[in-house]
Amino acid sequence: MAHRIESADGREAAILWLEDHLRWILTLPALGLLAAFFVYPIGRALMLSMYEFSTSGKQFVGVANYAEILTAGAFWHSLWVTGKFMLFAVSFEVVLGIGIAFVLNGHVRFRGLVQTIGIVPLVISPTVVALLWQLMYQNGGVMDFIVGPLTNGPVPWLSDPSIALYSLVLPDVWQMTPLVTLIVLAGLQSVPDHVEEAAMIDGAGRIRRLIDVTLPYIKELIVLVLILRVVGTMRVFAKVFVLTRGGPAKSTEVVSMAMYREAFAYGNYGRASTMALLLLVIALGITYAFARLSEVEF
Amino acid sequence: MATERHRGLSDQLLAHIETVYDRLEHYGFVPTLTNGIALLFVIWTLFPVYWMVAGSLRTRRELLATPPKLVSTVVTIANYPELFIQRPAFYQFLFNSVVVTVGSTAIAVLFGTAATYGFVNYEFPYDLGRFHLPFLILTTRFLPPIVTVIPLYVIFDTVGLLNTRVGLILAYAAFNIPFVVWMLKGFFAELPDSIVEAAVLDGHTEIGAFFKIVLPMVRPGLIAATIFTIINAWNELMFAVILTSNTQTQTLPVALATFKTAYTIQWELLTVAGTIAMAPVLVFAFLVRKKLLRGFTMGAVR
Repeated sequence: MAHRIESADGREAAILWLEDHLRWILTLPALGLLAAFFVYPIGRALMLSMYEFSTSGKQFVGVANYAEILTAGAFWHSLWVTGKFMLFAVSFEVVLGIGIAFVLNGHVRFRGLVQTIGIVPLVISPTVVALLWQLMYQNGGVMDFIVGPLTNGPVPWLSDPSIALYSLVLPDVWQMTPLVTLIVLAGLQSVPDHVEEAAMIDGAGRIRRLIDVTLPYIKELIVLVLILRVVGTMRVFAKVFVLTRGGPAKSTEVVSMAMYREAFAYGNYGRASTMALLLLVIALGITYAFARLSEVEF
Repeated sequence: MATERHRGLSDQLLAHIETVYDRLEHYGFVPTLTNGIALLFVIWTLFPVYWMVAGSLRTRRELLATPPKLVSTVVTIANYPELFIQRPAFYQFLFNSVVVTVGSTAIAVLFGTAATYGFVNYEFPYDLGRFHLPFLILTTRFLPPIVTVIPLYVIFDTVGLLNTRVGLILAYAAFNIPFVVWMLKGFFAELPDSIVEAAVLDGHTEIGAFFKIVLPMVRPGLIAATIFTIINAWNELMFAVILTSNTQTQTLPVALATFKTAYTIQWELLTVAGTIAMAPVLVFAFLVRKKLLRGFTMGAVR
């Protein structure tokens, strides 16, 4: 009998111990995984960035990688390409997305259905999105058919260096405009009716009401959407990988593609890590700037 | 002066737009216009998807016809078995995708839920749980993943996780924990503090109370977070393409991205593979369509 009581005590003690340490038991697995996959790799990248990799092994070179990358043109070129991609994609997505949100907020039949359809591109893999568009970019395919009346003959959508980047922007706009629309629409529908009505009674015109009443309600959401899309376009990889692999003539060589090539085509993990860290600094800078500018609370 | 004139001009412009809008409304054009734009949006959004699905049900000749044929004359499912006959590795790719998605989702949701509950309900030194940790977790979301994947490749190479499904599972789990935490944070914060206390008074242990009372109450959020994680893991390309390099471990997106042979693209088969890759996520997304926005905005939109 005594033995049983003892073991019951042991069980109770174990439960007590568990409950005392519950906050760490609950949080440490997640924190551990995050540390292993975010913090440690960045530390490792710092070390790697000080080595030169070649067929004969790796050699410590200090900050030579940084100096080389910052003075040579390739990294700057890929930043420039990423910047162009970001500028065009984000502008179209935000302007079109907000416009469509306002339209859908008006008199529209089957609004719920339209919103559900808007989710479709968002959940499709960027890899598949790239394929959808590659099929439509086929020589003599759908896109050639659509622009047919404006051009003589097929357009070299993906093989002309002056067109290819825009042919990458289009799938991104297709996929991500609905995100802007859905977020802004959610904001518009949260504007209480009585606020609009009060402004109408005050005699405010439709556009005054839009600027003075509606806009403040969705300002934070627009900033959020901007941050999401700027960060999202900065990391574009799958669409470039599938459609152009950075070509033709490096005209679509975005940063992630340049890093991929440096590491896995040339085997120079040191230089690739250096580029990764430089990109990290830029990404954090942009995020911080947005957060400060908008004073949005996360 | 200049600003006054500017203001006058913009007011004039606004007034002008108002008049145009009023006139449109007067003649009853506004509903037509908005419904028309909505319809265009729907067509523009659905057409590429339709084109691939319809393409998978066509013969190669009709699929690549010039000018393109909007509606098929013959519908055939022959391409579906043909994909698996010509590329038997697709069984393996599908299997890998399922294993990696299920494994990483299980870990991400389990660890993420536990961590969120911990952050919301317990005191941590230095306000770690209330402010700093959620903020840090959010920061990870803003990291371009290419930044971590290159050192990760070197790390995986040394610890033997390269070309393993376990490696991919752990990587995806880590990348989805931030989503889970941010999607669930609101749900847990909305629960009244007294719920666990009341349950403990009723004789439950604290752990028992969590499973029997707290979890069922956050179920909608849990389901949405789970499906969001499934979609992310199923769709991911970059980690998979870098961390795996043989058919034993590669997932569906990798197979799709590297489908091209040296000379041509077998579109009649690639459209089949693309449709297979799209179908499950569309079904899952439809199930939680109302809650999905929370995931895309890290919880900012309810």
